[in-house]
Amino acid sequence: MSAPPTAPSSAHPAHPDQLPADGSVRVGIDDRFHRPAPRAAGVRRAAQIGSRALGPLIVLAVWWLAAAQSWVSPILLPAPGTVWDAAVDLVVSGKLQENLAVSLVRALTGLGIGIAVGAALALFTGLSKAGEVLIDSNVQMIRSMPILALQPLVIVWFGIGEPTKVLLVALAVTFPVYINTHAAIRAVDSRFVELATTRGLGRLALIRRVVLPGALPGFLTGLRFATSISWLVLVVAEQINATAGIGYLMTQARTVARTDVILVGLAVYALLGLVSDTLVRLIERKALSWSSTLQAR
Amino acid sequence: MVLDAPGTLTPATTTDDAGAAAPAPVVVEAHDVRRAFDGRGVLHGIDLTVRRGEFVALLGRSGSGKSTLLRILAKLDTDAAGTVSVPALPAVAFQDSRLLPWARVLPNVLLGLRDAAARERARTLLDDVGLGDRARAWPRQLSGGEQQRVALARALAGAPELLLMDEPFGALDALTRIRMHRLLRDLVSRYSPAVVLVTHDVDEAVLLADRVLVLTDGRLSLDEPIDLPATGRRSHPGFTALRSRLLTELGVGDDDH
Ligand SMILES: Nc1ncnc2c1ncn2[C@@H]1O[C@H](COP(=O)(O)OP(=O)(O)OP(=O)(O)O)[C@@H](O)[C@H]1O
Ligand SMILES: [Mg+2]
Repeated sequence: MSAPPTAPSSAHPAHPDQLPADGSVRVGIDDRFHRPAPRAAGVRRAAQIGSRALGPLIVLAVWWLAAAQSWVSPILLPAPGTVWDAAVDLVVSGKLQENLAVSLVRALTGLGIGIAVGAALALFTGLSKAGEVLIDSNVQMIRSMPILALQPLVIVWFGIGEPTKVLLVALAVTFPVYINTHAAIRAVDSRFVELATTRGLGRLALIRRVVLPGALPGFLTGLRFATSISWLVLVVAEQINATAGIGYLMTQARTVARTDVILVGLAVYALLGLVSDTLVRLIERKALSWSSTLQAR
Repeated sequence: MVLDAPGTLTPATTTDDAGAAAPAPVVVEAHDVRRAFDGRGVLHGIDLTVRRGEFVALLGRSGSGKSTLLRILAKLDTDAAGTVSVPALPAVAFQDSRLLPWARVLPNVLLGLRDAAARERARTLLDDVGLGDRARAWPRQLSGGEQQRVALARALAGAPELLLMDEPFGALDALTRIRMHRLLRDLVSRYSPAVVLVTHDVDEAVLLADRVLVLTDGRLSLDEPIDLPATGRRSHPGFTALRSRLLTELGVGDDDH
């Protein structure tokens, strides 16, 4: 076998087979695996977002046109500009922030309680026979009931104050968290439990090292359902007997036929939903970076 | 690098100056082990003694009860009859690597171990299996062979007296398997646990073990030492002879191959 031709010492080591016969090293010929530059990918992504924004933009344009041409009464559907002005007014007067804060506190308190209770119940039933018998069958029965149907009962029990609203949110949140976490705990691979046994892991270590991380994806799915349902319930709860909150703002607006304010409230709810969903997705990415289904950055 | 070092097998007996062999301490002692599933007997009374430093291969047809016996030795089966005495925590290597997907490589190797010495050993073992630079990788970022190497490192990280393996290389391609054989032989000579290796691969058994068992109809129908040099076995004349004898014992004629 002949000695490989010597390449310039500064060049990357090249396999002898790839070198031209004259021993020179050519650079930059290997573009068989050309990949689009990151910038091109960014442009494509921007284009993607742009095309997704097209639909809403068309709706906005039609809405604007309909208002400008007086196709619909401004009482039913005020012009986009009017709604924008209403939003600015609400922000300047501080009314929006005030009521938003109230709504946020309700939603977060309800979410916190519901998540804690749902996860704790799921752990209890998922890890013990007694829990399974005592709780799971009951929960599975109640889950098919629309949570909002409980409202009259909750009002009778707790009145029409803050606790009722928070409780309704908490109740609605508990179920998706419980059901998804419970299913995930049950589905934890028994082969890993077996492995833990051979490594001498005690019950607590087993829960910490195997059960909890294994059930995390299910819990996070539950969390995503929970956040979206929490807004849904809050909207309804806030429109009955509330004295503050985004829902109250909208109910007030209805009584004085301020459709523009109602639309502002709707937009705020939509934004809240969007933001919370994005947050949960971020948490998912971060927490499940080990999983192949969610590529983390 | 470890992969290239020649493997040596630890003898099952220690020889004193006079040349008389004193038997090494017993690591596994099983007596009259029986197991039935729903009334259907799988193991009909197994007696087995494994001593320190022994590398035992357990052969048997599919469904003969090899995994069942291994699980009993690993104390994973509580419904078996008979007496089994094994070290407190025998290490187990499964056919799948069984790495926790949510733990990085090093924590996987350290699973269940807390002392500082184990940490040191885990690092060394990862170097030994050629994955010292992948300690922070997620299991899904490793190839099948690499995952199995991590599993091997994990099995040895607790400095086990006994290493139980159930077809650990069954899911690997032929080339990777050959490399794993070398690696295993090397690691075993370095950390000297007693080994029970379940396999359906006669070549694997003859290449690696210094004692071979055949499980037939719920009993050990063959139990004999392998008298072959530690390395270069495949070209040894004794290799083919033993191989065809084992194949016959397993009910497969040599010509069927
Ligand atoms: N949990 C179980 N429940 C019922 N039957 C079982 C169980 N585990 C094993 N068996 C039966 O016991 C017999 C032996 O199974 P085992 O898994 O030990 O075989 P094996 O020798 O390891 O086979 P293979 O080489 O295919 O892995 C089989 O007939 C199997 O069906
Ligand atoms: Mg088996």
